[in-house]
Amino acid sequence: MSSTPMSSTPMSSTQKTVPVLAARGLTKTHGRTQALRGASVELRPGEILAVTGTSGSGKSTLLHCLAGIVRPDEGSVVYAEQRLDQLPEQRLSELRRTEFGVVFQFGQLIPELTALDNVALPLLLAGASRKDSHERAGEWLERFGVRGQEELRPGEMSGGQAQRVSLARALITGPKVVFADEPTGALDSLASEGVMAALAHTARESGTAVLLVTHDAQVAAYADREVELRDGVVVSGADAVVEMFR
Amino acid sequence: MRADLRLALLLTRGSDRREWWRVMLTAVGAAFATGLGFAAVAVASVEGQVSTSYFHGLLNQPGQRAGVVVTLLLLWVPVLGFLGQCARIGAVHRDRRLARLRLAGATPKQVRHIAALEAGLACLLGAVVAAVFSALLMVNLLQQRLPPAAWGGFALVTFAVPRLAVVVSVVALRRVVASPLGWVRRVRPGHGRVATLTLVVPAVLVGLAALLIVMRSTGPGATSFPLLVFSAVALTGAGSVAVAGITARAIGKRLAARTGNPAVLIAAERLRADPWATARTNAAVLLVAVVGVGFVGVRQIFLHSVHHPQEGLPHSPEDLAFYTTGANLAGAAVLIALLISVGGLAVGTAESLATRRRGLAAQAAAGVPQKVLGRALLLETALPLAPAMLLAGFGGAAVYFAYGWVVDAAAIPILVPLLVPVAVYAACLLAAATSLPLLRRSVHPAELRFA
Amino acid sequence: MVAMSTRHILLGLLAGGPSHGYDLKRRHDERFPQARPLAYGQVYTTLQRLVRDGLAEVDGTDSDGGPERTLYRSTDDGAKELVAWTGEITPPAPFVTNEIFAKVVCAILASADPARYLSTQRAAHMARMRELTAVKTAPGADLATVLSADYALNHLDADLRWMTTTAARLTTLTAEVDGA
Repeated sequence: MSSTPMSSTPMSSTQKTVPVLAARGLTKTHGRTQALRGASVELRPGEILAVTGTSGSGKSTLLHCLAGIVRPDEGSVVYAEQRLDQLPEQRLSELRRTEFGVVFQFGQLIPELTALDNVALPLLLAGASRKDSHERAGEWLERFGVRGQEELRPGEMSGGQAQRVSLARALITGPKVVFADEPTGALDSLASEGVMAALAHTARESGTAVLLVTHDAQVAAYADREVELRDGVVVSGADAVVEMFR
Repeated sequence: MRADLRLALLLTRGSDRREWWRVMLTAVGAAFATGLGFAAVAVASVEGQVSTSYFHGLLNQPGQRAGVVVTLLLLWVPVLGFLGQCARIGAVHRDRRLARLRLAGATPKQVRHIAALEAGLACLLGAVVAAVFSALLMVNLLQQRLPPAAWGGFALVTFAVPRLAVVVSVVALRRVVASPLGWVRRVRPGHGRVATLTLVVPAVLVGLAALLIVMRSTGPGATSFPLLVFSAVALTGAGSVAVAGITARAIGKRLAARTGNPAVLIAAERLRADPWATARTNAAVLLVAVVGVGFVGVRQIFLHSVHHPQEGLPHSPEDLAFYTTGANLAGAAVLIALLISVGGLAVGTAESLATRRRGLAAQAAAGVPQKVLGRALLLETALPLAPAMLLAGFGGAAVYFAYGWVVDAAAIPILVPLLVPVAVYAACLLAAATSLPLLRRSVHPAELRFA
Repeated sequence: MVAMSTRHILLGLLAGGPSHGYDLKRRHDERFPQARPLAYGQVYTTLQRLVRDGLAEVDGTDSDGGPERTLYRSTDDGAKELVAWTGEITPPAPFVTNEIFAKVVCAILASADPARYLSTQRAAHMARMRELTAVKTAPGADLATVLSADYALNHLDADLRWMTTTAARLTTLTAEVDGA
């Protein structure tokens, strides 16, 4: 890891007044299975929040709702005073491109593009020139320790390298929130450690909030806070306590 | 064999919707091939001078009937291209499934049997349905007793089409059969040997046909002339695949290096990564474009000479109708070929989308606008097709210029034949655009749930 | 690391050269960052036992301006003993002393709320794991720190996984415990 000092300080209680993203009472049904049954969660500015739970507990669906990828059946998602669950698809797509970053287990890199082009893609989409976006993409690849892999395509990289490239792509636009769905799901523990450390370090340095969905407690331990989902409801963590006394 | 058949049936029954698409489209392709085969057999079975009321007497002369048979058989080329496209639907999925059968302990022979039976059954279905209807139609149309030889020909066609499909699928699956771990598709095998073969075989055939014509010095004889035409068409097809592949790669490389437009970048890199997929998809269309340009030019020169004979008396109205109908029938054949090959292109585009749907959903989730993905999809078809179509236009023009020179035509048309490539190009873009609704479904977040 | 032999660790530290008691304690705490720190009294009594058993001997004294301190060094027997110990396998979990499980069973017997206990225990485990992760990812953390934090993290993770499956099977367990 680089030797720049970490600017991570645990959120003081006065700072948590306005969450960057807040969901209330989300429900979502896929066919016959009810993935979410009234889940509520708040993401505070600059914090890394882990959402844990067994497979099928509704973690990914919660992330999809919060990122505006999926519309919940009921409930509200508020980001920057906007109801994400009511925004038109085009605006959501724009939001995901400019103010959110997304990292999945795999699949977010275009297999035919080089690492450099993959990272530069969000900037190109925003209308930046090829030269400028390549320059910045190069800097971001360096930050994630994958300098020298610029011309490789995802199929030619190791899983850990590909995820570092994915992180660079998710963070290059300077997003307010990064959504990471099992970002280390396909990696061995050493590669997973490297990717998580890089994500946590960069997010804290830039003050980006991260919603981290994982079933792995060791990955969740990189977060500042953790909530657990069980059967589509948040059952533990600070938010759950709030729910209990409401 | 019984066990293999049962497994093949089980696998087909339990397969998902995409498999059913493949089965259905394959059956449709097989039905087309069978119908064409039947028509060819029926026309060929007519002997000597006859008098029918169809097509202004076009079927009355043996020589003209031979031409009709050749045209019908030539239509097999786009149909086979279409069948090839259909075979690729869900190919990754099927390969994986067959590889798992090998892992579960099936012998290579069994896997080959099962796969071949799957393809064969679909084709048999299409062939039998088409056979029944075609036979009824033929008997009805010709209004005469068909000789036993014709019935033999019908039976041969009905059973040859599924057989052909079986052979093709066995060849296509040779890699899966070899390894239980499946064939990693990302690593493309060298196309060298196959490419050489597709060039050398037709070239040899053309030479052979030319040799036969010269040796027998009978002019374009009944047997060698169709062979010459068929081989020339195959050669043009192979050439257009090669040209399309090479240009696709060149365009991909060039554009990928300099473009700042994300849609162009994605399309260009995809072309660079696998130029041959595009080439294969476009080959039939290009072939039809060459034939189409050539045909439209020849038709205009021919009809002009019929209507304004340079020497002798003007043709009688019956004769005029006879020639016009002949030319129009051939035109209809070209149009059918175009429709089939454009259909193949649509299937190819849809298949390419279906295999990539998880990645596309991830892109959409990450905020890549659907518009960009759609534009990339269309560009992937449009970019390599433009220069190839230009070339096809020149090729076709060369054909009818040569014809005009041979018959010493009064005027050689330029405008109308050269509109053909433009029309075909537009048709191709439309065909690719039919996949756009599928793109909308592919980028649905539900696709993210399946790895 | 709790039930580990302090004798052998001291012998190991002495293998580097003669040392006095306070120095041994300091080096131990540095070398094994996440372990329970050694008490000076424990170092002293262990050294005396090593001398009694002929595994270590007094090397002399050293005042160095301050109070007089006794230097110890390892004997040949001590070196042999150390090598034998490092080659010996550690019995894989010989006794299962699982306080969490004991508490769950007792909670069932006392008709208390085992699910709630597991839930709060889980939160405590997670909090500790976050702490350890912060320690190991802090800039400048050396490999010894990372490895010992990893060791603890993996054990806590195993506990957590056990708690998750146990929480999911509490009903059956309650029936079994109450039925017996």
